[in-house]
Amino acid sequence: MSDTTSTAGPSAASPSAAPAGAGPAQASAERAVAELDSTIAGIEHRLAAWAADAGAALAAMSGKVTGTAVDKLIRPVVEDLVQLPDGYAAGAGFIANAGLLGPERSYIAWWQGPDLEPVDALANFSPNSISRYVKAEWFRIPVETGQAHVTGPYVDFLCSDEYVLTFTHPVFTHPDGPVAGIVGIDVTVQRLERGAMPALRRIGDRATLVNADGRAVASAASDIDAGDLTAPDEPCRHYPVGRTFTVWSDATGL
Amino acid sequence: MLLSPKGASRSLAAVFTPIKSRGLVDEVCARIEQAVETGLLTSGQRLPNETELAAALGVSAVTAREALSQLRASGIIRTARGRSGGSFIADNVLPSRERALAQLHEVSRLQIRDLALHYQAIAAACAGVAARRSDAADVATLRSFIPAADDDSLSWRLALSEFLLEVAAIARSARLARELIRLQADLGTLTLLPCADSGYRGRTTLILEDVAAAIEAHQPAAAETGVKALIAATTDWLLTEQAKRY
Repeated sequence: MSDTTSTAGPSAASPSAAPAGAGPAQASAERAVAELDSTIAGIEHRLAAWAADAGAALAAMSGKVTGTAVDKLIRPVVEDLVQLPDGYAAGAGFIANAGLLGPERSYIAWWQGPDLEPVDALANFSPNSISRYVKAEWFRIPVETGQAHVTGPYVDFLCSDEYVLTFTHPVFTHPDGPVAGIVGIDVTVQRLERGAMPALRRIGDRATLVNADGRAVASAASDIDAGDLTAPDEPCRHYPVGRTFTVWSDATGL
Repeated sequence: MLLSPKGASRSLAAVFTPIKSRGLVDEVCARIEQAVETGLLTSGQRLPNETELAAALGVSAVTAREALSQLRASGIIRTARGRSGGSFIADNVLPSRERALAQLHEVSRLQIRDLALHYQAIAAACAGVAARRSDAADVATLRSFIPAADDDSLSWRLALSEFLLEVAAIARSARLARELIRLQADLGTLTLLPCADSGYRGRTTLILEDVAAAIEAHQPAAAETGVKALIAATTDWLLTEQAKRY
């Protein structure tokens, strides 16, 4: 996906219906959008690069994939991600699809927080652990579609019990082979909000960052909370952000 | 520091409450019990040794060892010595009617009522917000947790607790969700008992459908009333059962 002009959002209309007399204010808004986009697209690019590296490393293990080997491959990357100053990752990791380590077996190598607390690690002792992940949106969709996906914002019961967005990306060991697993990064809405608020306020006092369903992630309006369903209050500008998010310069709660 | 008229602030008292050092051990035990109840770990299955367990859960080896011995004492795991030795999930380890009845007879009516009030307050708050924030996918997931009338009581118990957790998930409040999880843990295996009664299952199914419909139709008041009725159905059943003991 391209840098500041990605267009895959559901309402990827080019900035339209600009109120009369825009000019410097709109230029400032567009710079703010570019900042937000580089944050979110940055997470997406990092994840895609990680998925490619992990796939190549797993392929090089040529069928002798073990839990220990997966941990060794994944943990250093997670360490970098969660310990990055001003980074967005609250947690990150890899989950094996059935078949990589055993028929019904998954394997989770996921850590959260600066102390790298292991997530759901008891599941690795279960012979049918794949049943735990197959229904989860952040696992199921990248596995089924072979495409990157963003889940949420949602309350993450499996890891942190926090309100998060989970960015996931399929991992391939062969270009057209089955999906070997997924890599993912959890971003808390809290952290994203802190980064997004200054930009949103420059865009407008009701500017709102929403996911593909129009659900608010962060908003400059005090009557719109993260998690609320919202709609653009036309006429309003629509700016695509990352692959699937949108900023509405003027949003209203539903 | 300001003092309240009658002396030291009550909220201050909590600061000086001793911190329980057994907290982590209990936490490890609770995780394993939960893994068993949800079918992730099954009877006869070998558990990792204490070093592996400690590494997996991010606790010290001492904590893992204490947790294993506590699980052994409560009959959740058994230990075999020798070459094929180790710790295994015990055979009849799933929450049983006998254990739940024993728990019911240990608690007072006051405790059950008070817990129910707290549970209703939290669940109703979740349901109200959920009715505001639900979308079609949320409601479909919620309905998937409504159990079939002839499911066994263990699946019913699990489905009911998952249903309420899903309501919290639809509300998208991390704090309320965490509180709900804690309350469900406090209720323990008690909720297994009514699930064995087909009358209770029938009444409950209707309430679950009402709650889902209210959340779908964005009717906060109806959703709140529904989850309160759901919890009341459980507590009323438990109090009626417990009264037979006197």
